[in-house]
Amino acid sequence: MITYAYYPGCVAQESGKELDNATKFIAGKLGINLIPMPEASCCGGGVIDGFDKNLKLFINGRTLALAEKEGLDIMTICNTCTLTLSEVNEELINNPESLEKTNEYLAEIGLKYTGKVKVKHILYAVRDDIGFDKLKEKAVKSLKGIKIAPFYGCHILRPSSAVKFDDVENPQGFEELIKALGGEPVSYARRTKCCGFQTILVNESTSTSLAGNAIYEAQEKNADVMVTPCPLCHLSLDTYQTVAAKNINKKLSLPILHLPQLIGIALGADYAEMGFSRHNVSLRGVMAKVRQNEI
Amino acid sequence: MEFKVRAYRFNPETDEKPYYKEYTVEDYPGMTVLNALIKIKSELDGTLSFRRSCRSAICGSCAMKINGITKLACKTQVSLEIDKFGIINVEPLANMPVIRDLIVDQEVFFDKIKAIKPYLLGQREDEAHNRFKTLKEGEKISQPVYDKSEFKNLTGNEDTPNCILCECCYSECGGVVGNKDYLGPAALAKLYRYAEDPRDNDKNGSRLVNGSMPNGFWDCVHCQSCEQFCPKGISPVKSIVRLHEKSVKNSITFSSGSKHVISIARSIGETGRLDEIKVAFESGGVTGLLNDLPVAFGAGLKGKIPPLRHKLIKDMEDIRLAYKELDLEDKL
Repeated sequence: MITYAYYPGCVAQESGKELDNATKFIAGKLGINLIPMPEASCCGGGVIDGFDKNLKLFINGRTLALAEKEGLDIMTICNTCTLTLSEVNEELINNPESLEKTNEYLAEIGLKYTGKVKVKHILYAVRDDIGFDKLKEKAVKSLKGIKIAPFYGCHILRPSSAVKFDDVENPQGFEELIKALGGEPVSYARRTKCCGFQTILVNESTSTSLAGNAIYEAQEKNADVMVTPCPLCHLSLDTYQTVAAKNINKKLSLPILHLPQLIGIALGADYAEMGFSRHNVSLRGVMAKVRQNEI
Repeated sequence: MEFKVRAYRFNPETDEKPYYKEYTVEDYPGMTVLNALIKIKSELDGTLSFRRSCRSAICGSCAMKINGITKLACKTQVSLEIDKFGIINVEPLANMPVIRDLIVDQEVFFDKIKAIKPYLLGQREDEAHNRFKTLKEGEKISQPVYDKSEFKNLTGNEDTPNCILCECCYSECGGVVGNKDYLGPAALAKLYRYAEDPRDNDKNGSRLVNGSMPNGFWDCVHCQSCEQFCPKGISPVKSIVRLHEKSVKNSITFSSGSKHVISIARSIGETGRLDEIKVAFESGGVTGLLNDLPVAFGAGLKGKIPPLRHKLIKDMEDIRLAYKELDLEDKL
């Protein structure tokens, strides 16, 4: 059994609770032991350095130090949390001045960071620590015949100086996962582009046009469903899908799964266990197709 | 080894719509994509049009999309692209209209560079500046105040003034894809470069005020593409974030972007968590809230309602101490 300090991030504990539940469901099935971090704070939503760059270092340095104290690596389920923690980790490992400054603060709260923690997104934790072959063995439902559009988003890939899981120009981790589960990955240009979430409350038109065009492209490629490794992308792609359709003046109706939900379906979870009733776009069609696919 | 180049072709004067044309080229060790294009133009098809000049990754002319990603053709090895993609697919830069084949109209890009006033404002009347006036003929000009080290690693990456205006970042920018009027990464990195220049005499903070307007630096979508794909190793997005920080520190906070950032900082300072409802309200105000009501109502019907009151994270006093240590309490 592999053990991680579990950092779900804020959205997965609030409006995106279904993601947290699905993660815990698949972790149980795959033998991933998730240790909660009740002391961990919000990472700053990817914008906190626009308020104060040292605050980003301090609060995320504290999260890293909390995991290091337990001798654990951190597992994330949100792209932006992954990038923020990874960026701060890189900064603290490579810049002695930043490490010293952060450790002065950490000393006051009884912590210290030495740079030992690795931050891993669940997609790559499953790939590297479980293995897609083993995942395939554990699957009880096949995703055969289902066209699945992987939507990587930005912060799980870029900048590759901080997040180093996959090839930034032509990532394959998501496609390999989909194939392992029997699904058919849909190839489309916007799979690594931006969902626009970071400006959804600042410039909704920019934001929803990015999400809308990604959905539209996947739809045009006959995708049955889109999957995202990030709850922020999920808000843009699912919760705001109706607004996005209006903005780009196209008919959009593509169900959007959280990545752990996709794995959960293959591991035999039902509609209620994955919290599908919380989604804006219905998953009933996709689930009906899966139901026919007994292994 | 032979390989294929699939080139985007479009001549608006004769073609109804763009099309792709394939060429077979013989490789040689160290061949760049630009070498391949020059070979095609000189030996196979003289009508293929593209910009090029220095062949040394310094003029920025040969930026184009190579296998879907914006790169300098002169800095891109054929062998690496073939290993990864099996073909060289070349297309014009995105976010700009095509003039012909791989050549785009750069006017809008340069209009945006001009819009940020890429020159020093005003004139310093201090002692350092006056030293310039008393220089004798032939005397070495040591630039007052200006210190190269102040620009070095300004962005946490390479030197911002190294920008070669190649438009790779602009072509990859998610913000421009979503809003054609957004100034874009190159212009905003330049804005930061001038805002930080110790010789700039921007007495009333006009750079930060103008940059905070719609289509300015708060419209960055943080997609990180500009940093990832800059061929000179510059990080425009980090410059943009520094402009955000500089605006907040200087209390230039009229934009919804700055309100958004302050609201997130306040939420973390209060509970250690991100309060989705409060941040939505404080970022967009009443108008924003009314605008988002249908989405919120729809999500509410599905049970996606964040809690109205948040429990504090364990050891919340640690977070409060961070704010105190950094002297941030009065900025909330």
